[in-house]
Amino acid sequence: MNRCTVTTGFFVLGRCGRSAVAACPQCGRPVCGEHAGPNALCPECAAAQGYRTQDPHHPGWTHGYRREYYQGSSQAYNDGYWYSSFDQYDRGAFNPGDDYSYGGDWGPDDDTGFVDS
Amino acid sequence: MKDGAGQHGPMRHRAAYVAFDRFPSSKGSAVHIAQMADELFTRFGGGLLAAIGGGDLPRYQREGTREVARFDAAVPNLIDRAEAFSGWVAAHLRPHWETLEVCHVRDPWSALPAVADGRRHKVVYEVNGLPSIEMSHTWPWAAPAALGKIRELERFCLERSDAVVVPSRVIGEAVRGLGVPDGRIHLVPNGADVVGRPRRPADAPERYLVYVGALQPWQGLDVLMRAFARLADMPGLRLVVCASVPERRAKPVRRLAERIGVAERVDWRFTLPHHEVAAWLAHAEVSVAPLTGCARNLDQGCAPLKVIESMAAGVPVVASDLPAVRELMADGRHGRLVPADRPAELARAVRILLEYPDEAAEMGRRGRAHIEESLTWARSRARLAEVYRTLTRGR
Repeated sequence: MNRCTVTTGFFVLGRCGRSAVAACPQCGRPVCGEHAGPNALCPECAAAQGYRTQDPHHPGWTHGYRREYYQGSSQAYNDGYWYSSFDQYDRGAFNPGDDYSYGGDWGPDDDTGFVDS
Repeated sequence: MKDGAGQHGPMRHRAAYVAFDRFPSSKGSAVHIAQMADELFTRFGGGLLAAIGGGDLPRYQREGTREVARFDAAVPNLIDRAEAFSGWVAAHLRPHWETLEVCHVRDPWSALPAVADGRRHKVVYEVNGLPSIEMSHTWPWAAPAALGKIRELERFCLERSDAVVVPSRVIGEAVRGLGVPDGRIHLVPNGADVVGRPRRPADAPERYLVYVGALQPWQGLDVLMRAFARLADMPGLRLVVCASVPERRAKPVRRLAERIGVAERVDWRFTLPHHEVAAWLAHAEVSVAPLTGCARNLDQGCAPLKVIESMAAGVPVVASDLPAVRELMADGRHGRLVPADRPAELARAVRILLEYPDEAAEMGRRGRAHIEESLTWARSRARLAEVYRTLTRGR
């Protein structure tokens, strides 16, 4: 029997594990009755729909990007604020890969906070 | 919004918590985020947590009225990544722009989109550290000019925030130094939960010292290793390092341990879940927090959760005598405070505790009582709730 694979929990994560009643039409994962949305969407895909796509190959992306670009750059010209003021030299010191920097060999399993306790 | 539309359609939140940090993770910061975000979401009937993902963490998650969104773009350069995160946060706050009442942030790149013009929400900026100080330690090649720009960015975001929350008075001073007026700074200390004594880890050595936390140079692992070398005569004594970071981060410390001949007596554990770390703490003879006396710990301050959690576990603590540590524990009462960067002093303090086990146990008990009386998460959360209440009064 297929089990629902939706991630549950806040600080301690787990898998739902109830028996699945449908497959999410978008990502195909099995979902149980509790987690299936109106179109059997899983909660992850349903939540993603509430936010604009982050995928530049998606047609929906261009419109938002263009609008934001104009908004963003008009702001930048009006008030020399912050977004684009780190130059290549500034950025260079924050490249991973050199053994000298502690931040060095950044990998996908690393946490990424600026300040670490 | 427990109805079907809330659960399955787009959600509109009144609160958001933004952190440039993986969540959940085995680091102390994740415990902190869990507590603070939980308080925020309890106050505002749910909310959006925007954090870093990656690994097998789902990009989006929904739990009742709470939503977790995780940024998982692999951008190697830290500044590029931070800015990409900023843009992503902006996109994730936008759907809630009309309903948002409080946005709680932890760093300047999370704060930037939150303090934007035309907002109606209040911004709570939680300063656990200042990247402009801390990043000079983590990225020694960063030019002073680049750090100066980061400082300006901090100043800009702090200035525009409605409340600044700090975990220690030392950090409060640092924030005041950046021009934030007194009335806007609120002390919300870190806490710990005092629970029953967990079961002894099956593979725990008979007698061991424990270090819990990350392995950056300012944590003073080198000092600890050198101190431990001086305890070679104590029969069967081992050092257990519960590192909150992946194994490859331990390379420099392991190399040092080998060079000074203590590697054989050190046991390593990596990225253990929080409850397992609690078990290692509870059965240790002494917990050690050898923070170095660098600008990161002295000027910026820190709020070492390991000290609080060790006390909560009833273990005597030997820690560096820094202002931020003194805020949490008292020398001779809850453990010993020793001068930073002095392996001999550290070793001596540990040795004395080991040789007077009754005294040590008493210190452990007093530490536990101290946490119960004044440093529980419940107290910290009540203080944070008060900040939210003050900010949103009259709405």
